[in-house]
Amino acid sequence: MNYNPVFALLIFFAVSFLGYLLFRPRNGWFWLIKNNLKSNEKTVIEDILKQLYHGENSGNEVNINSLTSALKFNNSIIVDVIKKMSINELIQFEGDVLKLTNSGRDYALRIVRVHRLWEKYLAEKTGYAKAEWHDMAELKEHELSPEETNVLATQLGNPIYDPHGDPIPTKSGKVADVNGEFLSSLAVNAVGKIIHIEDEPDVIYKQIIAENIHIGSQIRMVENNNQRIVFYAEGEEFILAPIVAANITVAVLEKDEIVEENMVRLSSLKENETARILGISKESRGDNRRRLLDLGFVKGTKISIDLISPMKNPIAYLVKGTSIALRKDQASKILIKKD
Amino acid sequence: MNKNSIDNIIALSSDLRWKIGDDFHDGLAEGIYADASEIANGSVSIDNEKKRFRLDSKIDKIVTSKTWGFPIMFMILGVILWLTIIGANYPSAMLANLLLDNMHPALKGFASSIGMPWWLDGFLIDGVYLAVAWVIAVMLPPMAIFFPMFTLLEDFGYLPRVAFNLDYMFKKSGAHGKQALTMSMGFGCNAAGVVATRIIDSPRERLIAIITNNFSLCNGRWPTQILIATIFIGAVVPASFSAIASLSAVIGIAILGIFFMFFTSWALTKTVLKGEVSTFNLELPPYRPPRFWKTVYTSLIDRTIIVLWRAILFAAPAGAVIWLISNIYIGNESIATLTINSLDGFGFLLGMNGVILLAYIVAIPANEIVIPTILMLTVMASGIPGGEGVGVMFELDSANATGDILKAGGWTLLTAVNLMLFSLLHNPCSTTIYTIYKETNSVKWTTVASILPVIMGFVITFLVAQVWRLF
Repeated sequence: MNYNPVFALLIFFAVSFLGYLLFRPRNGWFWLIKNNLKSNEKTVIEDILKQLYHGENSGNEVNINSLTSALKFNNSIIVDVIKKMSINELIQFEGDVLKLTNSGRDYALRIVRVHRLWEKYLAEKTGYAKAEWHDMAELKEHELSPEETNVLATQLGNPIYDPHGDPIPTKSGKVADVNGEFLSSLAVNAVGKIIHIEDEPDVIYKQIIAENIHIGSQIRMVENNNQRIVFYAEGEEFILAPIVAANITVAVLEKDEIVEENMVRLSSLKENETARILGISKESRGDNRRRLLDLGFVKGTKISIDLISPMKNPIAYLVKGTSIALRKDQASKILIKKD
Repeated sequence: MNKNSIDNIIALSSDLRWKIGDDFHDGLAEGIYADASEIANGSVSIDNEKKRFRLDSKIDKIVTSKTWGFPIMFMILGVILWLTIIGANYPSAMLANLLLDNMHPALKGFASSIGMPWWLDGFLIDGVYLAVAWVIAVMLPPMAIFFPMFTLLEDFGYLPRVAFNLDYMFKKSGAHGKQALTMSMGFGCNAAGVVATRIIDSPRERLIAIITNNFSLCNGRWPTQILIATIFIGAVVPASFSAIASLSAVIGIAILGIFFMFFTSWALTKTVLKGEVSTFNLELPPYRPPRFWKTVYTSLIDRTIIVLWRAILFAAPAGAVIWLISNIYIGNESIATLTINSLDGFGFLLGMNGVILLAYIVAIPANEIVIPTILMLTVMASGIPGGEGVGVMFELDSANATGDILKAGGWTLLTAVNLMLFSLLHNPCSTTIYTIYKETNSVKWTTVASILPVIMGFVITFLVAQVWRLF
């Protein structure tokens, strides 16, 4: 046998490299081919309808050029599909601007409904990270049938908003209003509540996640100019670029709606301080949230630090006479008022 | 009620739901919890609340302190492992003397006196009985020492503090601090470690703990590691250092196992376990004096006896298989020899040989019988004198004599190192596999937990062997 360790190693590394190319997450050839086989005409139609729907909502006009640059399909396929769609009366041309017909809008709403329901499902029932929800829902929205969608909605308790704060269209196509303004246009000293965090584009969404900004939190604007936007939320100071802040929507609160001025996160509690729990942030979802409630992290409970672990994380809190250790990211989602 | 009014009611309810808004579920849940706690506050009086703040918090301050937390932890685990490994030698030797050296010949004598045919006597006594006796002799004493001590610590309330201290490190690899406990339990027995993962209530972290438990060297593997390290690693350094060299080699393998545990946990959270729900909470219960006899009793019954019984159930057929493959001939060769010959090429690539691979296949039911099987197969395959006969497992009293047989079978230092690595990184024993299936109720995760370590073992031993031969 012609055996040579160098030769054996070379074969081994060649095979592992090939395996890596094939199966690496996201861009592995295997996944690319699998996804490509799936992206048929239906996917293209549905993606075009979604673009038109979002354009309609934000008041932007959509034409063939903006479509081809926004979608990642071959241009000739897009042109082909658009022709078919106008024959089937899903869309119509006004000049070179594309518009949704009524039946096209219904179809688009159905797709948006699946997308947002799936994001809600991922948030409540699975452990996927926030940053992954959108991409997964992008694939799933083309797969679920109307019946499956309704079953899913019932299981989730017919939610009205998705985890980003976008309204989920109902079965009959009803969409809740989102009344708010962009964080970037909130006046200094005004108080608001974060009701929506846009998950596109990816780069900006990841920045918002990294900042630990939580949906549902009450904020007070401190500084707002072209360079930067500074605001307080839950006892922490946040500094954002205006372009990032434009992806966050807040509802302006009137004086009598302001719930609690001195609301801070449990993670800011120091040793020997005591506090009362005000509630659990909307960012704590699904099983995590229920577990916290089960353990007695409910409104009005007295809380203090019992022990700090050698690495400062987790920290054990004394709640209702029991010592319960929580990790830092959990503690940041519990809101308290210090005594 | 007619259909029309039902439809009306449904329409009204969905309309109302819409008006109430999305916060309604949360508000309701929070309201119930708040009401419940208010009722409890009004009707329950607590008079011993002060107690916790005295002795308990003093102990807690020490065992979770920056300076003392880690040393205390490692010392306790070290002492328990030392007591188990050293302390188990004596009862193990006694059991081996009784079951293997006295009972086995006695049974053989009895069988020949009633004129049992050679094949039935070999199958039952040399095969089934010997494997079962071996498993009992090697497995029972360490478990009977390890589990009660571990359970006493558990009962005292110290273990949650260990999880608390170590959680940050485990969190980095996506695991739960309590995995430190199930991992330590795995040093006793992987099957028991897998059962112990019930204390982890988060689905993802529990699966991680189950799949990676096999990277803790269990009681069945410590003796193999110690024996091989004594014979081969101890021999490469001057005699005065040989004890310390072989000891560090064994500890090194155990630490390597912990490293693989962290690495695999991390890799699993990044890939296949990404979507499983993950939660965290850790209650630090008050300390209490352990109920000594009750603890000893329950740990013996719940853990030791159950695990031992499962092991015996699996070991019996393994013994039969070992005897059969050595005694059934196809043409001029026994099945064992044929298999060894066909596995030799692959074994050579991994820096081992066909005997070792076959031993690990037939010894899936219990790691304890790996060395006796290897010895028997080596003697059989290489035709050197010694041993107890074809298909009869044996072990020698002196490490030197064992080393002579292995060296005659073509073993080198590389074979020894790779055997130690493969002993760490191979599939869990069948008792553990069965336990994993019982605990996860999923064929998928049982397969992952069984196959993943073998693949890692193949890759690591392969790489070590090639690099070794380069120099």
